[in-house]
Amino acid sequence: MYNTEVRGPLVLGNKSLSQITADITSPLYTRPKFWWIVGLGISSLMMLLGFWSIYVTISQGIGTWGVNNTVGWGWAIINFVWWIGIGHAGTAFSIFLLILRQEWRSSINRAAEAMTVVAVGCAAIFPALHMGRIWDFFFIFPYPNTRGPLWVNYNSPLFWDFIAISAYLLISASFWFLGMIPDFATIRDNTTSKVKKAVYGFFALGWRGSVGEWKRYEGLSYILGGIAAVLVVSVHSIVSTDFAVSVEPGWHTTIFPPYFVVGAIFSGFAMVMTLMIILRKVYKLQDYVTDSHLDKVAKILIFVSLIMGTAYLTEIFLAWYSGNEYEIFTFFHNRITGEFTKQFWAMFICNAIIPQLMWFKKIRSNLTIVFIISILINVGMWFERFNIVVTSLSNNYLPSTWATYTPTFVEISMYLGTIGIFIFGVLLFMKYIPMIAISEVKAVNKYQLKKK
Amino acid sequence: MDSAYLLGVFDKEETMLSAFRKMKEQEIEIEDVFTPYPVHEILENHGRKSRITIVGWLYGFFATIGVLAFLFYTAVIDWPLNYGGKPSNAFPSFLVITIILVIFSITILSLFTFSWRANLWPSNKKPIYHPGATDDKFVIMVNKEKADAARASSVMKETGAIEVIEK
Repeated sequence: MYNTEVRGPLVLGNKSLSQITADITSPLYTRPKFWWIVGLGISSLMMLLGFWSIYVTISQGIGTWGVNNTVGWGWAIINFVWWIGIGHAGTAFSIFLLILRQEWRSSINRAAEAMTVVAVGCAAIFPALHMGRIWDFFFIFPYPNTRGPLWVNYNSPLFWDFIAISAYLLISASFWFLGMIPDFATIRDNTTSKVKKAVYGFFALGWRGSVGEWKRYEGLSYILGGIAAVLVVSVHSIVSTDFAVSVEPGWHTTIFPPYFVVGAIFSGFAMVMTLMIILRKVYKLQDYVTDSHLDKVAKILIFVSLIMGTAYLTEIFLAWYSGNEYEIFTFFHNRITGEFTKQFWAMFICNAIIPQLMWFKKIRSNLTIVFIISILINVGMWFERFNIVVTSLSNNYLPSTWATYTPTFVEISMYLGTIGIFIFGVLLFMKYIPMIAISEVKAVNKYQLKKK
Repeated sequence: MDSAYLLGVFDKEETMLSAFRKMKEQEIEIEDVFTPYPVHEILENHGRKSRITIVGWLYGFFATIGVLAFLFYTAVIDWPLNYGGKPSNAFPSFLVITIILVIFSITILSLFTFSWRANLWPSNKKPIYHPGATDDKFVIMVNKEKADAARASSVMKETGAIEVIEK
């Protein structure tokens, strides 16, 4: 059996099993705090703004966006890739670390998975609306239609993307829900409220913790974990092939799939960091999400940041080494210098340089600084997508087609709207669902009890 | 006879495990064990088998064949289209979509299998023998008809059960 002595205690405070249940489920039984209601209000307003922009986009068309013939992909695709990247955290956390038998994941995986589900939902809004005629959305399904029967093009990354994101949403939601079944049963058996008993009892699906249930539960976790590990790598690789198969300078390169997958994990882990620092502070969960947990996430961030820096430099080097004038123009006269200098350096500094500060233990253990760095990483990752989408498209082969791109209010509102959906979803999650996997923490906790 | 089961309630994993081992030794048949988290010794030694991982593999195997057959039928037989001169049966480029659709199929099929085999579905009315088993109690259940209840009860008490209930 896995022994955690090397890593030190994963749960502090020598908790008893019932204490763990009580600590983690406490938000369920207390009145919502003031900040929670304020947060819900603000995020609802943002959501309203988002819904308004969706309404405008559907009723008036893509003409309400700033995209044009040259820059055909604007904020919609930037934000789509950004959200999908954040969504990779849950899978990276729960699944890679599950397969690698890393027990320290158990305090964080639930929140990371919740984030994934909401973020992938946010991401899906953008390409769906970017299709323009959303009522013809079903054309993308492979079904024998009245036009032929003409089937979809299985060689198109855009079609792969649609299937991959649907599969990703399905599998991350099922993995998340599967993990919650035992915890719902815990709430069902502990609550005194009749309403809670009925609602959580419904979702607990009759769980009792019997041998047969646990055995199949673990079996299913490993099945889903194994296939989702493949999926998480392929989803973002497919997103990157949306770019890489087109003959645009700066896009048409084989580095894209690994570069995108690593970038996704980077932004995902940064978002986990942001969220966990808030979560453990407001709900006083420092005994479960310990400083050493955050320290491990910080170390992963340093490592991934190094990969990101290497990827950026590789791209620049290859642009120069290829001798291709269009590649050289895009990288040296459009990104490093030129029209989009600010965005390029924002990306480079936020992603490749600032996270390196966490090599120092002093900085790593100062959570205020770590919190700021984690937010800067997500800002940097947003600029990375901006760089990829806009700089390549705006100035490519034919100078007569060159154009610039500025987002309109509708596009900005839609982005704010998805942030609203994300915050709204996370707040509901904090209040109504155990934020930490109770049964998994109990299983991890027993190692500490045994040692005594 | 009203009560069909004998429940030994333990508050520690260790005491429950020692009772479990002793009962195995004395060949007292254990109907079920309810625990708040998976206890691997019990999952391995209880004797109940689960083939869900094998079934999951089979789903993957047949889904692969199914998806490739579907792609071949639609893209080659039913309505071959010329995409920039590429062959209709573009097998390497079908692989990506095959992987994703296979993952999709395995997920859905194994979720339903899990729900069916583990007997878990919404508004399920399975009897809850001891509500503490999802919180901090470990419960060993013995079927009185299949095992000697008196002997089981004495083993449970000996090894430190906090209570032995008939239900």
